Amino acid sequence: MEKLGMILPLLVPIIGTLFIVNKRLISDKNLTKVVAVTVIINFVCVVYSLFFNDLTAVHILKVNAFLDIYFKVDQLTRVFSLLASSLWVLTAFYAFAYMDHEKRHRQFYTFFTLTLAVIMGVAYSGNLFTLYGYYELLTLCTLPLVIHPGTAEALQSGKKYIIYSFGGATLVVLGMMMLYAVTGDMSFMAHGIVDLSLIEGNRDLLKWSYLAMFLGFGVKAALVPFHSWLPNAMVAPTPVSALLHAVAVVKSGVFSLIRMTYFIFGTQTVLALDVTKYLMPFVVVTIVMGSLLALHQDHLKRRLAYSTISQLGYILLGILMLTPNGLLGAMLHLINHAVIKITLFFVVGAITHMTHFKYIHQIRGIGKQMPITMICFTVAAISLVGIPPTNGFVSKWFLGLGALNIGNFLYIIILLLSAFFTAGYLLPISVTSFFVSSKSEFHERDGYQAHYETLHEMSDDSVRETTREMANDMIHEVAHEATHEATHETAHETANDTIHEMANDTAHDTAHNTLRNETVAARHSEDGEAGATGAKPIKLEPPKGMLYPIVLLTVIIVGLGIFPNTIINFLGVVIQDAF
Amino acid sequence: MLQCLTLVTHNTASPNLVKLIPLVSIMLLMLSAFMMPLLKKKRHLFGLAGGALAILMVLSFVNVAYIYQNGGYYFDIGHFPAPFGISLRIGEIESLIALLFAIVDLMVTWYAYYSLEKEIKESRIAFFHTMNLLLLASLLGIVFTNDIFNGFVFLEVSTLAACGIIVVKDKKTNIKAGLKYLILSSLGSGLVLMGIAFIYSLSGHLSMDYIHEAMIANLDGKQNTILISVILFTVGLGIKGAMFPLHIWLPDAHASAPSPSSAILSALVIKAPVIFLIKVFYRVYGTQIIHETVILDLVLMFGVMGMIFGSLFARSQKELKRMIAYSSVAQMGYIFFAIGLGNTLGVVMAIYHIVAHALTKSSLFLAAGSFIEQTGFKHIEDFRGIGKEMPVTLGIFTVSGLSMIGIPVLPGFISKWNLAMASIQIDKLYLLIFLLISSLLNASYYFPIIINGYFGEENLDGKVFLSKSKPIKQLLPLIILTVLMVLVGFFSGNLIEFIERGVYTV
Amino acid sequence: MQTLINNYMFVGAVIMFGIGFMILLLHNNLIKKIIGMNIMDTSIFLLFVSLGYIDGKEAPIIVGGVLHHNGYVNPIPTGLMLTGIVVAVSMTAFMLALTIKLYELYGTIELDEIQNIRGG
Repeated sequence: MEKLGMILPLLVPIIGTLFIVNKRLISDKNLTKVVAVTVIINFVCVVYSLFFNDLTAVHILKVNAFLDIYFKVDQLTRVFSLLASSLWVLTAFYAFAYMDHEKRHRQFYTFFTLTLAVIMGVAYSGNLFTLYGYYELLTLCTLPLVIHPGTAEALQSGKKYIIYSFGGATLVVLGMMMLYAVTGDMSFMAHGIVDLSLIEGNRDLLKWSYLAMFLGFGVKAALVPFHSWLPNAMVAPTPVSALLHAVAVVKSGVFSLIRMTYFIFGTQTVLALDVTKYLMPFVVVTIVMGSLLALHQDHLKRRLAYSTISQLGYILLGILMLTPNGLLGAMLHLINHAVIKITLFFVVGAITHMTHFKYIHQIRGIGKQMPITMICFTVAAISLVGIPPTNGFVSKWFLGLGALNIGNFLYIIILLLSAFFTAGYLLPISVTSFFVSSKSEFHERDGYQAHYETLHEMSDDSVRETTREMANDMIHEVAHEATHEATHETAHETANDTIHEMANDTAHDTAHNTLRNETVAARHSEDGEAGATGAKPIKLEPPKGMLYPIVLLTVIIVGLGIFPNTIINFLGVVIQDAF
Repeated sequence: MLQCLTLVTHNTASPNLVKLIPLVSIMLLMLSAFMMPLLKKKRHLFGLAGGALAILMVLSFVNVAYIYQNGGYYFDIGHFPAPFGISLRIGEIESLIALLFAIVDLMVTWYAYYSLEKEIKESRIAFFHTMNLLLLASLLGIVFTNDIFNGFVFLEVSTLAACGIIVVKDKKTNIKAGLKYLILSSLGSGLVLMGIAFIYSLSGHLSMDYIHEAMIANLDGKQNTILISVILFTVGLGIKGAMFPLHIWLPDAHASAPSPSSAILSALVIKAPVIFLIKVFYRVYGTQIIHETVILDLVLMFGVMGMIFGSLFARSQKELKRMIAYSSVAQMGYIFFAIGLGNTLGVVMAIYHIVAHALTKSSLFLAAGSFIEQTGFKHIEDFRGIGKEMPVTLGIFTVSGLSMIGIPVLPGFISKWNLAMASIQIDKLYLLIFLLISSLLNASYYFPIIINGYFGEENLDGKVFLSKSKPIKQLLPLIILTVLMVLVGFFSGNLIEFIERGVYTV
Repeated sequence: MQTLINNYMFVGAVIMFGIGFMILLLHNNLIKKIIGMNIMDTSIFLLFVSLGYIDGKEAPIIVGGVLHHNGYVNPIPTGLMLTGIVVAVSMTAFMLALTIKLYELYGTIELDEIQNIRGG
């Protein structure tokens, strides 16, 4: 019974999925209710199994030392599973509101719930073999979510995602093979299982093993040469993007790295192997390049995606510092970044949901229409930059302390520089939305009317032509900027991305939105108010299902910033396990 | 459960009766094979074949249980002791392979009951069964025999019978593929026979144990003759077992044959020569002699080439069945790779992979056969959105595909893992790279089919859920094969232990 | 050189085998291929039988009283080759049958021409 109690969080979502799949049992109307019940029950089960169940380890199937499906609860499990299951609840409610205009709900919710089971499996894994198994399943379960829109572009991105993920997983297997040949064991233990005495004679094998696994898990954690799947995966519906970024995929990569570094190899062994010097350049490049690339994105979600890459670099940096403060900073940032990034994505999703805007230049003045949403966005942005009293500050503080502990000022400079960049790419969004007024060329009522009519009459061709021109201009501009600021590659990439997106989206969106905005304004003026100049902005706040999670998350962001002690104490146990 | 059953057999059947099983299995199959032309009705034909195979399966299971309890044994045919008469040797490996062959063939025959007459003329069904049972009998003979000349004869019979189940479909391509197979295969047989002649001139014996003793006794100055004969065997059996550069007959034959035949060809026919090769290596020559020659390195090299190039060719195929056929070449590459490693774990994994691949590939071919049968298409392009029309069948295809790719716990992963361990044991770390590249390549041609099958708006356009699905009863053999495949992965520990007990002293 | 002469049986067999092998491999005509296969097989049969031959001994056929067991050549290879010949004959028959079939379908027995026929 205790056994069952412990693995309940792994089973509940699967049972939920079985219900969701069944068309006869659950009608389309009740679908969301079942999902809601499942995620909430799952959260309760997680709490029960983590804190009220005495059993902390269970072998499901042990054939030999290698083929051993083993679940274990320790402090790191608690951190990750609580984070995941609670954010899943919020995302579920957000998704109910968001998904109402998307298709194929059943498929979406099936894999949404199934992914929860897999993430719980990742968190509860007691050895590397189990972790690896769930890691592969994670790719398979999230793939349908990524390609949910079903367009050719989505399939292409899905292909990229799966190629990168499997490439990474293959590297992980390579590392595991070499590790197992040395140790004959793969369970997670505090302080690691690779004894210092094993290093003699196996130094190369262990070194390659560590490097292979780090890079392999690094693919999911968007380490720079392997990061490009992440921006591409932005074709997914926003709740999925949010989950991919905040908890599901990238964080499981980071989580696996923590597991591998501190619970398989152990701090002393990694220090003795002296491998971090090979990996640090990757991480530093990740941080800097992620921020630089983010600066050039006009597409909101892509900008956030590049920001994720950069922020994950922080976490990896903290892990590789191999100091208690560094790890604490990394763990804090794992949690904080999850909360912040999910908020940012929710806001962007809300904007897209309400207005169909996807680009930054489109959202001028939207802050007046969606004040609460945009305030939340601003708070989250400030937090990500690392300004007190928000939680982002706390984690960066500890990362900085960690860097000081090993006496490396370069890292501190990079941290500060990147914080500067973060401000550079996030705050303009807030500024644009609040302080730049939307352009309006027609002030007279008649003018509106005329424009409204012309817009209607305008043939499709001319609309397309104008927008293509616009897109071309934009491409030039972006490419130009990019060449100035970053490498040629970046320029190409950005330019290419932009070409694609612009050609597809801008054509439609700008045309439609001009039409729409002006229609709204025209309607206002028809209501008898004298002109649009004095008119109040129209409220466009998202529905409650979307607004409440955003506000709640913002409160958490500030709360964690003001009272960081509880969570630091909670994480303290992990640090003790590791050092 | 196995233990429980061994107890039962131990108490009820006298050991001598159990030792008759190998001979009885072969006789049973041959007898039923030659009774086929006497029957007319489809139901009777399938009844006889199914009955014979079911009995065979039960017998093989009892045999495995007996051997699990008591270890391997020799059986002298006609009570002529070994140097003069022909003897069979049945150990752990042989009994396991026999059980595997029986199960796979039974499932394939079951599947064929529903679909065979759609692919071949009704009048040919009896011929198919004759050939199929004859083929199985000869394959079992190859596996069981302890006499190399006897092995050669069975090899020839299996070649003829295999060609029979290719040309049973009366199409141009089939005749061509069958003839191609026959020519190359007879070339292989010639080489094997030449090898036997060399061995006979060296040792004066045909029974494996006696040859081995004689060879160990006077080795001096015969290294060259030994090397030549080993190469003759390797190339000859390599042709029949689709070792990489000698595989050219395989894609045509496997792709053009009716789906049940393809499943049997890929799952069983190319496996028996490999078992024979392992026996020649380790029972005829013995570890000591084999390790002195360069042959293992060559086999390893060809294995690696097969793993990589087989997958590369598979990637570029447009027809589904050809792709799966090339994937067989790649998988045979794994088996030759395992043999080429030359340590105990390598040989054990070769046998394990034979078991795993037989189950996986047969269900893949049958699933592909169902797609082709239900839609009438052949090309991979045309199977977009098939997951909506035939979700269960594509599900089976997916599970088997995932095993090929190497998702943990499924047998493909276990093979790769242990092969890697074996490579590390002999300090050849670079081999890991090839293993992993090949599994990535596998992913690159199985995933697109699965993804385009289940997802994508334009792919699913106009498809109706379950519209082309076969009834579950027709899919049952496929499901059983897939379940067995998963079980082979889950209980790989026990299975590997069992194989290890029987592996010829390496 | 001396070894080659001493083992003239082997040398002869290998040369013949090579001839058969090359015909089987290089010729496009199916009938020639089958002939090549037969030459190849025959070389092995001859080799095998020669292996069992001991100079000055009789064939193991009992005619008018049994000699001492040293008086006969080794009968086993001869026996084996009987089986071998049966196998080769059935193989040849099957191949010829398929060749006829192929000729009916394609109108030629040249493999390269068959290869060039589209849809083949």
